[in-house]
Amino acid sequence: MIKKLLVLVPLVFSLSLAETLTVLTHSSFALSKEVIASFEQQTGIKLRFVEGGDAGATLNKAILSKGAPIADVIYGIDNTFLSRALEAGILERYSTPQIAVVQSRFLLDPTLTALPVDYGYVALNYDKDFFKDKPLPGSWDDLARPEYARLLVVENPATSSPGLAFLLATVASLGEDGYLKFWEALRDGGVKVAPGWSEAYFAHFTRYGGDRPLVVSYTTSPAAEVYFSEGAYREPPTGNLLWPGASFLQVEFVGILKGTRHRAAAEKFIDWLLSGPVQEDIPLNMWVWPVRRDAALPDVFKFAERPLEPAELSPEAIAKNRERWIAEWEAVVVRGQSAQEVISRRK
Amino acid sequence: MRPSRLAALLVLAFLALALLWPLGLVIGRGFGYGLSAVLADPYLRGRLGWSLAFGASSSLLVVLFAVPLVYLMRYRFPGRDALVALSMVPFVLPTLVVATGMLAWAGPRGLLGLDLSGTPWILFWGSLLYNLGMTLRLVLGVLGGSGRLVEAARTLGAGSWRSFWRVELPLSAGALAAGAGLTFVYSFSSFGLPLILGGPRYATLEVAVYRALLERLAFGEAAALILVQTAVLVLVSLGYLYAQKRLAVRAGAPAPPPRLGGVRGWAALLLVAGFFALLYAPLGALVLRSFWGPEGFSLAGWAALARPQASYFAPSAGLATYNTLRFSLLALLVTAPLGFAYAYGVWKGVRGLDLLGFLPLLVSPVSLAVGYLLAYPGLRASLLLLATAYALLAYPLFARTVLAAMRRLPANLAEAARTLGAGPWRVLVRVELPLLRPALGAAAALAAAVTIGEFGATLVLARPEWATLTVAIYERLGKPGIVNYQEAMALSVLLGLLAAGVFWGLGRGGEVG
Repeated sequence: MIKKLLVLVPLVFSLSLAETLTVLTHSSFALSKEVIASFEQQTGIKLRFVEGGDAGATLNKAILSKGAPIADVIYGIDNTFLSRALEAGILERYSTPQIAVVQSRFLLDPTLTALPVDYGYVALNYDKDFFKDKPLPGSWDDLARPEYARLLVVENPATSSPGLAFLLATVASLGEDGYLKFWEALRDGGVKVAPGWSEAYFAHFTRYGGDRPLVVSYTTSPAAEVYFSEGAYREPPTGNLLWPGASFLQVEFVGILKGTRHRAAAEKFIDWLLSGPVQEDIPLNMWVWPVRRDAALPDVFKFAERPLEPAELSPEAIAKNRERWIAEWEAVVVRGQSAQEVISRRK
Repeated sequence: MRPSRLAALLVLAFLALALLWPLGLVIGRGFGYGLSAVLADPYLRGRLGWSLAFGASSSLLVVLFAVPLVYLMRYRFPGRDALVALSMVPFVLPTLVVATGMLAWAGPRGLLGLDLSGTPWILFWGSLLYNLGMTLRLVLGVLGGSGRLVEAARTLGAGSWRSFWRVELPLSAGALAAGAGLTFVYSFSSFGLPLILGGPRYATLEVAVYRALLERLAFGEAAALILVQTAVLVLVSLGYLYAQKRLAVRAGAPAPPPRLGGVRGWAALLLVAGFFALLYAPLGALVLRSFWGPEGFSLAGWAALARPQASYFAPSAGLATYNTLRFSLLALLVTAPLGFAYAYGVWKGVRGLDLLGFLPLLVSPVSLAVGYLLAYPGLRASLLLLATAYALLAYPLFARTVLAAMRRLPANLAEAARTLGAGPWRVLVRVELPLLRPALGAAAALAAAVTIGEFGATLVLARPEWATLTVAIYERLGKPGIVNYQEAMALSVLLGLLAAGVFWGLGRGGEVG
């Protein structure tokens, strides 16, 4: 009897020791079941995911609970929020051995505290049916003309991450004054503003019964249209508009939250997230590219375009100005003030 | 202790933990920003003005449409209960789905052939779509127990019109006021339909709070906005609570509503069903959309429901349905006793409880979400907090329905019981509770609506394994592709049917009385 108990004790003990790692993500995070199960089997660490809303809300929830962290690892900080995350001091540094295989242009945090996982591009999609016998806009100037502005639906940069990325592309391409004049022209031309990507794409885009054949989305969306048509489309029914500066690069990062009691497990999780099988699982789940150099891409990604000249803005410039840009955008597009009025108020 | 005292204490304790403390932490962080900055901003003033105008006109519209419908629906006729259950469906559907239905029906390429998008009409249509069913349910729940009074009026020679005007309408005035008040609260503070259909010009104050708190961590500005928003809603609610109290009429013992047989019954059904068919046409458009593929008719979306999902984060239809039902039941276990305690305390005259218990509907959900994070970091993403959040937003609705019925209870019954030596506990259990049975059914249905529709879910951190039907719909609508779209529409139809089934079942229970 006692012997039996002695055998049971370590068994029970080991069960209770099965470590649980809590991962805070935004609500667009996704991986395959088998991939997650294989991590849990190999390491004996149980993964518990909690979702904090969109990318901005998720990061801010981590910042608000600094000191008593609600998770051990945070995934989904993007380059527009990178500086805020680093300045808030919520992350612990971790030099993963996997860093050697990551494409170096995505190492936007030189301290390697926030580690890149995947990247994608926000860009304009168009409905091929609609533009079958009509010319496409080919520049920012074209787009600002009323005949195109009234065909366009964008997301509100105040509440949507692709909306903000598109706003940043206009700032990077057209400059501090030029971008407001551009948005003023869009507003007068009748651009539609939706609260988020789902609303813009599924309620207002012509492919889904709306009246706007131009929508701010991702360069992978045409590929996803093919993949999620179950054979109905061989070619994408939508296309990307990629004049220089018309797209914006989004890189997503992972980091260990300061104060975690599972540091070793968190390190294992990050190494695993950057390992080949997980990186190759990312494209079809999240419709973004993996940062690993040697990751193979699924066949349908031949329809996903990587723009040669995306708009460029440093994380520091974004951190410093994002609130002002959003407020100025709101003043012009939502409150109907003139671009000149807003510009002259800056001084 | 007297049961009313105990009830008040229970509600107060719950409110202190689930509402006042977390909200206090948020406002405390932003103290000293000054209300004047908010009130001086012409844009925010504009938002306030728009929120007020939209809330008030929505209330008015709902009452205008509810009165003639009640005139017909105070009778029982074939198909009546099914229509009432159907009218509650939009209440539980995600906003984006309802917007999709509205556009598929009355949008630029809609089935109606009349483009209402970009006009205020589509917004008001949406408001009716959401709130009319809730108001009808409240009123019919009250009338459900007043058959004997109507019978008496008829016996005394009152015609149908006269009995409506002199008996049923005064009886239902309290519930009508409740419906109008709740319509105002929801229209005033919702993120809602106007934002999708009308663009950011129609943003309510809640959007400004969301931006300030969750995007910018600007506690000062957020605290000021929350105070302004809550103050307006408190004022409106005081008016409505007063009206509801004044308008309550005491009735006799309950009896089922009179039956409208033969030709007249079918005529009533035809009229009401015809009106509903028009009003709820956007829901029909959703059903059509779930069968709409790249080359016309397609079952791909429905077929996808049966497939297991490869992604850990894409909940299957089965898991989502199970979670939706499980959480609704879990929430009802908290909602029912709490809602009953609140209603009972108010009814027995505990001072100040009326408005205090109504607070959960008046504070901004976004600020509560942040408050929970500050107050209970260890409890985040726990089932306990999830049930609390659901119950917090559901119990006031439960209580309003029960309270309306309590106020109509004949006082002499309880007095008689007391004269015969029964204490307050005994009166509660043996006299009052049995009399309230029909209202309790209606109240539970309304509470279930709130939980199935998940107003509270945004308050806590979500877990992928807890995904409900609403979450599953948004997950599908988070990726491009026609199959995702069709699957989201199919899931929405499933959610609508599930909700209608629950209302129908509970509503029937309520009418047995």
